[in-house]
Amino acid sequence: MDQATKSRRDFLASAGSALGIALAATHWPAIADAHSHATAAVANPEASAIVFLSAEDARDVDAMASQIVPADESPGAHEAGAVYFIDYSLRTWQAAQADNFRSGLKDFQAAFAAAHPGVRFADADSATQIAFLQSVETGGFFGAVRALTLIGLFALPQYGGNRDGIGWKLIGFNDQHAFSPPFGYYDRDYPGFTRPAAKP
Amino acid sequence: MTRTYRDKDTVDFVIVGSGSSGGVMARELSRAGFNVVVMEQGPRFAPSDFEHDELKYWFGSGIVNDPSTSPQTFRRTVDSPATKSLPGQLNPIFYARMVGGSSVHFTANYWRLHPLDFKERSLLGSIPGASLEDWPISYEELEPYYTKVEWEIGVSGMAGTHPNEPPRSRPYPMPPMPVKSSGVLLERGARKLGLNPFPAPLAIASVPYRGRASCVHCGFCMGFGCEARAKSSTLYTMIPEAEATHRCEVRTESYVFRVATNPKGRVTGVHYFDAEKREHFQNAKAVILCANGAETARLLLTSAGPQFPQGLGNSSGMVGKHLMFNQSARTFGAFEHELNEYKSVQVTRVVHDFYDSDPKRGFYGGGGIDARIGPNPIIWSLKGPDGASWGRAYKDHLRTFTHTMLAASHTTSLAVETNSVSLDPEVKDAWGMPAIRTTYKDHPDDLKFAGWLQKRAAEILDAAGAKKVWDEPLAESRGGVHLLGTCRMGNDAATSVVDRFHRSHDVPNLFMCDGGSMVTSGRGQPTMTIQALAFRAAEHIGQFAKRGEI
Repeated sequence: MDQATKSRRDFLASAGSALGIALAATHWPAIADAHSHATAAVANPEASAIVFLSAEDARDVDAMASQIVPADESPGAHEAGAVYFIDYSLRTWQAAQADNFRSGLKDFQAAFAAAHPGVRFADADSATQIAFLQSVETGGFFGAVRALTLIGLFALPQYGGNRDGIGWKLIGFNDQHAFSPPFGYYDRDYPGFTRPAAKP
Repeated sequence: MTRTYRDKDTVDFVIVGSGSSGGVMARELSRAGFNVVVMEQGPRFAPSDFEHDELKYWFGSGIVNDPSTSPQTFRRTVDSPATKSLPGQLNPIFYARMVGGSSVHFTANYWRLHPLDFKERSLLGSIPGASLEDWPISYEELEPYYTKVEWEIGVSGMAGTHPNEPPRSRPYPMPPMPVKSSGVLLERGARKLGLNPFPAPLAIASVPYRGRASCVHCGFCMGFGCEARAKSSTLYTMIPEAEATHRCEVRTESYVFRVATNPKGRVTGVHYFDAEKREHFQNAKAVILCANGAETARLLLTSAGPQFPQGLGNSSGMVGKHLMFNQSARTFGAFEHELNEYKSVQVTRVVHDFYDSDPKRGFYGGGGIDARIGPNPIIWSLKGPDGASWGRAYKDHLRTFTHTMLAASHTTSLAVETNSVSLDPEVKDAWGMPAIRTTYKDHPDDLKFAGWLQKRAAEILDAAGAKKVWDEPLAESRGGVHLLGTCRMGNDAATSVVDRFHRSHDVPNLFMCDGGSMVTSGRGQPTMTIQALAFRAAEHIGQFAKRGEI
């Protein structure tokens, strides 16, 4: 968390100085604002602890998140801290859903135990986990874990689920406060807008 | 120091709402020499207060009306139960609750209406299940005020670029924003199909304008406040210019809950709560409601009394009715190379070739297609093609973020009398006032046309060379941010709420001017029209006041 915050701050600072040259004086207010944000961005201790979930429940939720966005050649939701974001959310902006979440998790665990006696979801092998999640993927509880996993993965790192910008790196999003054209491949050699010739 | 007034001062005008229309009204009337108090229920933010925090702004209630203090209910029809919004959700009707209103967080697409928008009833006849009416004013009457919006508020764009462009008296004051890859691709695809794409008109400074910096292309327009002051919200344009007259006070965290009337049937001022929920009364010679198409209607309904049992200014029974949201459809295209649509403004190219309703299609409707950023990362991540939603394949889909663009269709909503804002009989807000209850079911033609235009958008993306094209499934409206039609303008006091000058048919010193005044929905992007109406209304209201006709 601290590392992510620091790199964000460093990044913004360097982006600001580069832009200072490129974009000239008219843009200084925006750059000043970007800097003040960067210095205001502090780590959020609320989002780096498991408080709402028990340790065992957190393992199951974490295992679900790991299947929703798995690690492959790049890190996935587990590495990004999804379960921390989910725990944080259920104590804060999704507190109204906390009871539903808890009972949904209980039902999920009971259904898994009925299908696989003696094994906890978190300890099952990956193929077993995937097959079971496919059987519950239309349910509300799975939907909630999926949504919170993804929201956390692409929210600001300070919320706990996008540690080190893992989500942003995955999709190629650059958390910079100013850009200049060209923005992408197709606008690079654009000749300018030409009005179509008047039709006879 | 800006001017302040005391409650007991009888000001010339109280304006309720400091957003798109209220800001214009405040500047115009204070410049015309009147004493003005603008009541704003929300706080005032500085540019440096705005954050690129998608969780807070799109999933929390960062700068919008918050269900935990301002809950709402929604129902599909008058017979179905209404569902209450919960904390942690967005309200069905949401707007930026702050100085500048939704002009702070809007996307800033500034389309003029076309001449036909004002007279579709005459052109097309009546439509079953809808209350399609002509406006009491014409495009030609509004044109000078569209021009005023472009120059006074600050709109970038290019004139004379397509055959369906409505007539204009001046070019745009600023060149269009630099094109993005999505704009190049839309232009390429549309031209292959014989269509006429054009540079998007945006209320965003493409060059330094009237003391404001130009856009820094940060990519956080839609739903966010602009840190660079480049977005031409009233927060950065009309409001400070109103205050500079030293005749206008913007009173923040002041929530008007009732408009007061005297036995003669004239308004005398407004009751409001301050930040500590203490009640106050501000005296005024006249009151102008610019609180948006939902809150203006709610305020009229909560101002009911013995003289006005159905609500203030509601002898027609039309207050809150004919709510229109604009339908829309989304079509995604993934391309071989990077677009990086998360950079810069939302839209740089638009197609208006399907603007006019065409009876040959078999249903009413018209619209525009624009090329834009896919959503910001979180919203991008929540929906994908082909029903996949998790696992390795979905992760690969997520990786196409920088290669994907959205062709968005913005379309008509027909006025339907039962689509409405009313007072919920049970749910109250944190101040004890009745909550907004929305009743809304799209007219069948609205969905048919949105689906039809979505197919045209897919054809454009195909023609542009997309590797993969997919539609987001069309959905019935579950709420909206374009809040139109609820205090419709008209010449007949029996079927409309305000006259052609935005004066209440029932109360001579009460005016309503916001999206609620619109008689038809246009094709999306209503703010341009709302502000043109406000410039026009302010001119007439000022003249009425000077002639003693209020």
